[in-house]
Amino acid sequence: MKEYLLGTLDDLPEGKGRAYKAGNATVAVFRRNGKVFAVANKCVHKGASLCEGELSEDGTVIRCPWHNWPFDLATGQNCLDNSERLRIYEVKMQGDQVILCA
Amino acid sequence: MNEMRPLPELDKAEAISPDPINPKIRKLEVIDTDFHFSPKWEKIRSYLKEPFKSRLYHFPVGSLEYNPEPANEKPGVGQDAHGTAATAADVLRILDQFGTDTVILNPGYNRPQAIFNEPVIAAICSAHNDYLINEVFPVSDRIKANLMICHRDPQMGADEIRRVGHHKQFVGVFSSFSAIFEPLGCSKYDPIFDAMAEHGLVLTAHSEGWFVHFTPLWTGARTWIELFGNAPAGNCMAHLAAMICQGLFDKYPDQKVIFQEGGYWWIPDFMLRLDDFYMSSSGDIALVERKLASGEERLKKLPSEYLLSNVRFSTQPITIPKNRKHFAWLLEMCHAEDLFCFSSDWPHQTMDPASWVVEHPDCINEEMQKKILAGNARKLYSRL
Repeated sequence: MKEYLLGTLDDLPEGKGRAYKAGNATVAVFRRNGKVFAVANKCVHKGASLCEGELSEDGTVIRCPWHNWPFDLATGQNCLDNSERLRIYEVKMQGDQVILCA
Repeated sequence: MNEMRPLPELDKAEAISPDPINPKIRKLEVIDTDFHFSPKWEKIRSYLKEPFKSRLYHFPVGSLEYNPEPANEKPGVGQDAHGTAATAADVLRILDQFGTDTVILNPGYNRPQAIFNEPVIAAICSAHNDYLINEVFPVSDRIKANLMICHRDPQMGADEIRRVGHHKQFVGVFSSFSAIFEPLGCSKYDPIFDAMAEHGLVLTAHSEGWFVHFTPLWTGARTWIELFGNAPAGNCMAHLAAMICQGLFDKYPDQKVIFQEGGYWWIPDFMLRLDDFYMSSSGDIALVERKLASGEERLKKLPSEYLLSNVRFSTQPITIPKNRKHFAWLLEMCHAEDLFCFSSDWPHQTMDPASWVVEHPDCINEEMQKKILAGNARKLYSRL
């Protein structure tokens, strides 16, 4: 596991996702209302880029842009099927800098 | 959070736009057998003949289809969830985006079979076909299409096939299957099959019309899952059983049919069940129109043999079991290596990009990948 700098909080788009290359990982990072979550970008269903999905109003659930599958961003777990899960990545704040552990 | 320590020298993560399509797909030939093309009504109308052109101001509303927005909990998700292709340029842009080499267009939202007036249906089908011939096909040979017909009136359908079926970029005939019509295997459609045989065209039987006002079969259904997720499979089996048991493939042994969006994991049960019933109870096959005309009393083969020789299935929407052995067994029991032809169903909400075909090499080896992605379609459609 290695730490990567994403930039300041304001560098992340509010209310939507953005994909980052961190080592070999492609990670979707979401920011809404001060919360930042990071999950594997590839949907476990059919491989869509989750960074293009729709973020819930409270910023805790992402819906896949292709087939609407909902995932809890804090746990990576599919909201309807416990057996489907995304890899989650830790996000840390240091001052106003956002750091991704991937 | 907010630890107060000096910020170490960190690598910066690079913001990227990932390509969701598996890179292997861009190296293999991909033929998409179900892609919905939706010309603007003004364009279709410009090709309408009179007296239709001056009277049809809008696409005639044929049915009040249930909108999937309540099921998907957001607006704009359903028919054109991923965009709209209205021109050849739109189609080519989407093909490149998804790594598709060749596409077979099906009509989009402007499928007119539910309109009550058959001459109106036929006029819209002709206009759609003429738009393809004049403005879409000349742009690229990567674009093929199923020609549209009014199959509710078989003679009108046959006339349209004879009018435009010679065009080499029409590879098949688009037809809907649902419970609204008498099954496509009935002999009333023989004028259509006669015309298709003259041109060697494939019948593309695409799921449609599963809604309760079309059929009592689904009366009482309440949800998108019942209407869209389940009903097409039942309809598909009914149409296919009629084709086999009413002697379609005995009268037209070279006629090929591809079913779309009716599922396929039911194939093993269907084959075993029809063969079993045929062995014990086939006496009334002598009473169907085609057998009365030919004087034959039975089918020429077991029912399951017609499915293997004359019928193919497009793959969307693929449903993949979590148990790897089950997936491999299903593929084998459904003869997927020879019967499955890749389809995306773009731009509908259940759209499948081709990546899944190459992402399960333990169940789908490289040779089978090539057959599903393109080889089986090339074998099926003689004009590809």
